[in-house]
Amino acid sequence: MSARETILNAVRAGLDNRKVDAEAVRREADALLQDLDAVRPELPAGALVDAFIARVTSPKVAATAERIKDVNELPAAVRRYLDLHKLPPSVALQPAAVLKNLSWHGLETRGEVAADDIVGVGIARWGIAETGSLVFHSNPETPILANFLPLYHIVMVHESAIVAFLDDYAAVVVGQRPPRNVNLITGASGTTDIEGSLVLGAHGPAHLHVVIVKDTPEL
Amino acid sequence: MQEATVSFKARAERALADPTLKLAIDRTTGTAERKRAVAMTQFPQFEAARERGKRIKDHVIANLDHYLLEFERNAIESGAKVHWASTAEEASQIVVSLCKQANAKRVTRVKSMLGEEIGLPHALDEAGIERVETDLAEHIVQLGGDRPSHIVWPSMHRTREQVSDMFKRAHRVPHQEETIEAMVASARRELRDKFLSADVSISGANFLIANTGATCTVTNEGNAELTTTPPRVHIVTAGIEKLVPSIEHAFLMLRLLVRSATGADVTQYTTFHCGPKQPGDRDGPEEFHIVLVDNGRTRMLRDAALKEMLRCIRCGACMNHCVVFRQLGGHVYGGTYPGPMGAVLTPVFDGLESSRDLPHACTMNGKCQEVCPVAIPLPTLLRGWRDRSWREGLEPTAARFGLSIHTFVASHPRLYRLGTAIAIKVMRLFSRGGLVRGMPGLGAWTKHRDFPAPARRSFMAMYKNSENKR
Repeated sequence: MSARETILNAVRAGLDNRKVDAEAVRREADALLQDLDAVRPELPAGALVDAFIARVTSPKVAATAERIKDVNELPAAVRRYLDLHKLPPSVALQPAAVLKNLSWHGLETRGEVAADDIVGVGIARWGIAETGSLVFHSNPETPILANFLPLYHIVMVHESAIVAFLDDYAAVVVGQRPPRNVNLITGASGTTDIEGSLVLGAHGPAHLHVVIVKDTPEL
Repeated sequence: MQEATVSFKARAERALADPTLKLAIDRTTGTAERKRAVAMTQFPQFEAARERGKRIKDHVIANLDHYLLEFERNAIESGAKVHWASTAEEASQIVVSLCKQANAKRVTRVKSMLGEEIGLPHALDEAGIERVETDLAEHIVQLGGDRPSHIVWPSMHRTREQVSDMFKRAHRVPHQEETIEAMVASARRELRDKFLSADVSISGANFLIANTGATCTVTNEGNAELTTTPPRVHIVTAGIEKLVPSIEHAFLMLRLLVRSATGADVTQYTTFHCGPKQPGDRDGPEEFHIVLVDNGRTRMLRDAALKEMLRCIRCGACMNHCVVFRQLGGHVYGGTYPGPMGAVLTPVFDGLESSRDLPHACTMNGKCQEVCPVAIPLPTLLRGWRDRSWREGLEPTAARFGLSIHTFVASHPRLYRLGTAIAIKVMRLFSRGGLVRGMPGLGAWTKHRDFPAPARRSFMAMYKNSENKR
């Protein structure tokens, strides 16, 4: 007998070989998702975007954030960030058309993110106010390593793509074929492995800056 | 495991006598306890969430065959290859042979307790494959040549001073400054090119998502993504109890897991891995393997009590709050999993005979059950092992003899009163200033602390006296 059969038989024996009613199992699973408000934290009152920014910049997430009115303002925002942190005027762009098509005048840009890049600029598909998370789906415009290699990560997200709870993101993608990777990124890379004290920049970015843009997403 | 050949008591004595270890344990578990407490005040829905989480896990366990098949079907459809392993050895062999098929010289690993449970680090070393641990704590464990001592902070037994020494000896460009920041930067430099040049990556899974076939990892360092993206092959090993019906259910569990583990609301990185890279993707593995491991779990399923342990989501809260763990650290427990949850699980994996001391190393204060995010009745399960150990005759003769005398005396009130009256007199002879500092037969106690001298008369004697006066 294969290990597969051995295990499945042992599981069935452990469950008294009862008949599985797939429809009943599904109903029970759905029932466990009812009344979500009772089992998740509350969001602060007010606009979603404010809750998101409050969360991103809270000590728990410890990232920085700013708002721009139009996607064309992104290069200037990046420039200000580089100046503020005394970084060289050179950035690696996530290979997304929307970023490539902007006017990066005065900044040296590269079309992909390499192992030794200092600053990476990317675009997240969604933001989650509950946790201050940014959501990325791997695809030809979104390589996964671009989110992890740079020391400074600047991420743009559209205001209209901010959802309230983790569950709301799940509801948006329900029924879709999942990508190879979904990354939920919440703040910079950190570790508490030495004596429990938090240090940022463990393997991934040490700094995360979130830029929220007002216009509608071109997804 | 060399440690296991020394008795539990001898290991405990040694740990208790190690002041550096005590310092290291206190620093990490103390922080974890404080941060969790703060997180709880900010999440008043915790009790309701915990009840929901318990029900989700119970629902999955009650329909485990259904969810295993659903997961397998969806994983295969996403392009993954699914393997099944009944035992730890089978699981390790599958992983090693996948590495050999891939001609792997260098393998990067994301911390996974299941990987430890099935002896994967050892199996890879035996096969002559270079194994690079990428989690900072596992990197420290690898450099120290020992074993994880905590399921969330595997190198918790090391102080910063020890870590500094290890990094200076092993790293190509070690830190100059004696700060934890500089040490972390040193590890970052050391591991960066290894991430990118590995042939195979191996990770565990915090959740298996039945309705998509995806696996989920949570980390704070970002090492899971840096590990599992560049190599050509990604192998996941996961216990069959890790299933959840959907990503929505995973999110409910995630809220409980992270708060209980570290006091954060969510880890910095929560990543779902579904199949190999897709057409047009710029990075990601070409092959994605998932090894589903039983290793005793179906045995637990058949046991009405131990079945509850299948809810465990490996957060580590029980050990952070355990008065015994906080004195001893994790290595003393001898198994893969330490603390209360380890004392329940190790007898399942290693047999009760070699691990019967573990369920005894518990004060039954109930703290572990109180903080468990899926309400596992850990003290009850530990008591169950104690019962079984007694029934199976595994308790030492001296203990059985002593207890049978106690049973006899306790069920004969006159004899019992006579005994206590004599004991009171004798103990008071040895007491100075209300404390017994040493006395024949009390050595095991008085070696570490004084014994309070008993009152002049027993409660029963005083009660009788007052009744007579009426």
